[in-house]
Order: sequence, then C-alpha cells, then structure tokens
Amino acid sequence: MSAFFTLWRKELTTYFLSPIAYIVMIFFLVVMGVIFSLLVSVLADGSAGVTVMNLLFGSPFFWMTMLVLVPVLTMRLFAEEKKSGTIETLMTAPVSDTAVVLAKFAGALSFYIFMWLPTAFYIFVLWFFSADMLPPDPGPMLGGYLGALLIGMFYLSIGVCSSALTSNQIVSAIITFAVMIVLFLAGLLDYIAHGEWVRQVSAYLSSYSHMLEFSRGMMDSRPIVFYLSGTALLLFATVKIVEARNWK
Amino acid sequence: MIEVAHLTKRYPGRVAVDDVSFRVNPGEIVGFLGPNGAGKSTTMRILAGYLPATGGIVRVANHDLATESIEVRRRIGYMPESCPLYGEMRVDEYLRFRARLKGVPRSKLKARLADVKERCGIADVGSRIIGHLSKGYRQRVGLAESLVHEPELLILDEPTIGLDPNQIRLVRSLIADLAQRHTILLSSHILSEVEMTCRRVLILNKGRIVASDTPDKLRRRMEGEATVTAEIEGPQAEVEVALRSLPGVSEVTSEGIGPWRRYTLRAARDGDTRADVFGAVAAQKWRLRELHQESATLEDIFVSLTSSDRAEVRQ
Repeated sequence: MSAFFTLWRKELTTYFLSPIAYIVMIFFLVVMGVIFSLLVSVLADGSAGVTVMNLLFGSPFFWMTMLVLVPVLTMRLFAEEKKSGTIETLMTAPVSDTAVVLAKFAGALSFYIFMWLPTAFYIFVLWFFSADMLPPDPGPMLGGYLGALLIGMFYLSIGVCSSALTSNQIVSAIITFAVMIVLFLAGLLDYIAHGEWVRQVSAYLSSYSHMLEFSRGMMDSRPIVFYLSGTALLLFATVKIVEARNWK
Repeated sequence: MIEVAHLTKRYPGRVAVDDVSFRVNPGEIVGFLGPNGAGKSTTMRILAGYLPATGGIVRVANHDLATESIEVRRRIGYMPESCPLYGEMRVDEYLRFRARLKGVPRSKLKARLADVKERCGIADVGSRIIGHLSKGYRQRVGLAESLVHEPELLILDEPTIGLDPNQIRLVRSLIADLAQRHTILLSSHILSEVEMTCRRVLILNKGRIVASDTPDKLRRRMEGEATVTAEIEGPQAEVEVALRSLPGVSEVTSEGIGPWRRYTLRAARDGDTRADVFGAVAAQKWRLRELHQESATLEDIFVSLTSSDRAEVRQ
C-alpha cells in the first residue's frame, strides 16, 4: 500500500517536472475562460432556456479540449518508461503490477482534477456578480463536476491502457485519440441514425448527452455504472498488458 | 544465495537461455562472461524478476522466484544494462523515491541516503538533475539506487559499459568495496574486468554455461602447454635439435633471417622450460637476447570456449 502512495506521488510530481503539464493547463484554462466569457455574454442577453452549467460543460469547445488533453496527459505513463528502460527498474522493485497501473492512473486523475480546480472560481464569480446574489443551484453544479470526473476517469483509463501497449508516446496518443473520437462520435449517432437499435446503443455511449444530463443535475445511474465499470475494465486490461511483457 | 536449476528461456524461434544451472554462495562475487547475445542479460533479468523463465527453478535466499517474486525482489538490488534513470528528477529526489518504493522506512531514509551517496561518491551531486549528470555519475547513481535498501544480493548488468577508463577504475574499486557486505553477480564482456573483480567466473555461450571456475583454475585447466619464445644466435639446425631434446618440449618452430632467429617452443606447463633453454644456449656458447613464456590469459580461454566450432566440441 505504501508502495502505491510512493508511486502515485512520483507520478503526480513528474507532471509538474515537465513543461507539457503547464502547456496543457494553460491551454485548458484559456479554453475554459473563453467558454466562461461566452457564457457570461449569453446570460447578459438574458436568453431563455439555457442553464449555466449546461453551457460550461456541454460546449463543443469543452469537448474538443478534452479529446486533445487526455492523450497528452496519458501518453507518457508507460511509453516513456519503456523507451528509457526505467520500466525494468520499476518492475523489479518489490511492487505488484496492479499497484503500478493504479498509481499511474491515480497520478493522471489527480492532475486532471487539479486542472479543473481553478474553474470553481467561475462559480464564485457568477455568484458574487449576479444581480440577485442567489447561490448557484447545487444540483447542476455537482452533477457537472461529477460528470467531468467520471468521463475523465473513463477517458484517462483508455489513455493508460494505450500507453501500456507501446513504447512510442506519439503512437499512444494517437491510439487514445482515435478510440476517444470513435466513442464520442458513436455517441452522436443518437442524433442522426435511423435504426432504433443503433440509437439505443449510441445513447448508452454518448458522453456528450451524458454530460448535458449531468450538468442539468440529473444523476442517472446508467452512465455512472457505465463509466465506473468501463474504467475498471480498462485498468484490468492494462494490468494484463503489463504482465504480458512476460509472453514475448 | 542463488540457486538456479535447469533455467530455460525460450523466445519464438530461438532459445536465449538453455538449461542453465549454477549456485552462488553468500558473500561471493561471481562474474558472468560471454560474447554479446550469449544470454547474460536475459539470465539476469530473470533473476531480478523482470522476465519469467520458460522453465527451471530459481531460488534466491530460499525464496522461489516463481511464487514469491515480491519477496525475492525485496532482497535484490538490480542495475540493468543501460542503467536507466528518470532524467527529470534530482538525485536526492530519485534515491528517496526508490528507497521508499523498496520499503525503506521513513525513519531510516536519511541515514540510508547519506550512506549510499557516501559509498558511491555522489554526495556532492545530490541536488543536481540526473539528466544533466555525466555518464559516470549516472552510473554511480544507478549503483547507489541498487544499494539503497541494503539488499543481500546485487545483480549488476555490465556495470562499467560506456565509461571512460578512469570511471571504470572507480566503479571497479567501488564494486570490490561492496563485495565485503553483499553477494554480487555481475556480467561483462570485458575479460580483464571479470578477472580483476570476480572470484568465480561463469562463461556463457549461446545460452549455455560452458565453464565455471576461478579465473586461475580456468587458466590452468585450459592450457596444458605453455609457449616459450627465444631469440638465439647460432646454427639453426643445431639449435633446433638442442631445443627439441629439452625435457617437456614437444614442438619447435623458427623464423627469421640472418644470424638471429626466433624460436617458438611448445612445452609442458609443469616445470619452467626457460631455465633449460638458457642452459642449452650457454652450454654451446650461443647467444641469447630474448626469452619469455606466455601463459594463457582468460582471453584465450574465452575465445576457445566461445568461438563457435570449439564450443560445440567442449559440450
């Protein structure tokens, strides 16, 4: 257990030792800032039928950013260790393969959460500067962040898994990006497909509509189970892939 | 300390380690010697718990590697061939991380770090970024890392590869120093290095152990005969007859033009033929200006054991 925490801490600090983390964070905050300013201008117009969180979490800008950020955050995790050979010292330390995989995932997830923290500031801005000084509705707010967390977990675990597959960071990023795009677009079939079953399957996969629902304050258990089990499955697969160095 | 029985590692289409068995006793320094691709690294990777064996039994400190991998890994300090390190970390940061990972308790951390840094001569670079260090320093950081949890057994894969001669001497003396407290298994393809540092040598070729003994005994076993070279001035035919009649000499050849000729003798190793050669020359009042005997180096043994045609014969 203590080995897990040691590894987790190392993974998290490694993010801050590389310039990539800062570039990713700046990029993310710029995009979220643009979204926020658009959102404020929409609110200022007083358009009917929009909610704040819907705009914050459901915007296409947000999705574009997610799809780019996750591969960048995860591509390093195993690929770099394999390339530099440190995987050998890592796997010959007295730690289990499972602890290594979980620590790497936890490190990436912690950085992801860290990246989101500054956005909490927007809510205070809205609260203090809105005319009526009402606190924001907690449901959509919590829902929105829960959605961001769950979807983040699922996508990050795709990234962890693909990083374990290769020793090339670019290849890992491309695999992650491709899988995420396919899942994301499959989710959009809900809006355009004709076949009933296609639409039903697609509704289960649609991160886009899940996020809209979460940010409306609707906590449907189906997407929650989907993301948690998906994450667990991918991490389990990653452990198997890491063990599979043995088979070659 | 290490017991290896019938260890085999097969890759599709080739056998990297073929039925290797050996023992390493506590406190020994054992050297793995072999040409590139002989299976040294693969064997070490298996012992360190990185690769699983296809077959065979490995026990380290009475723990079975296959079933108690974590227990075994706790007792081993392993330095892979390229000495991989996290280039973006500082030396202290890295050593602290590795020490914690290998279960050094927080209370002992400071003392352990100070100790290994002192022993490896890296006390003054603790706050430097590893990526900026020279190869020699990095190698020593790697060694310090493998020592940090006071392992019973050190496995060092080519610890001096890529270093300059001064650094090689430093690392060698460091290893000799470590031998007082640890059992060491190291690999090398440099013969003089193994000869200098190891008390026992295992020569690997094509995944098999072709010889296992002390460097001295290997040398003795290998060469029943010695080669003596002498430069003598005298009538060639008479000199050759005289030399051939010396006890133990089986073959005499000569080369050269003019009065001085160079004679090469194959002689039995027991007894010193050089004194007899001098006696024969002095008796005839010929003149002698060079006389020496070559003993087989580990290099000769190595070449004869690992060059492909003879290795098969010796098997």
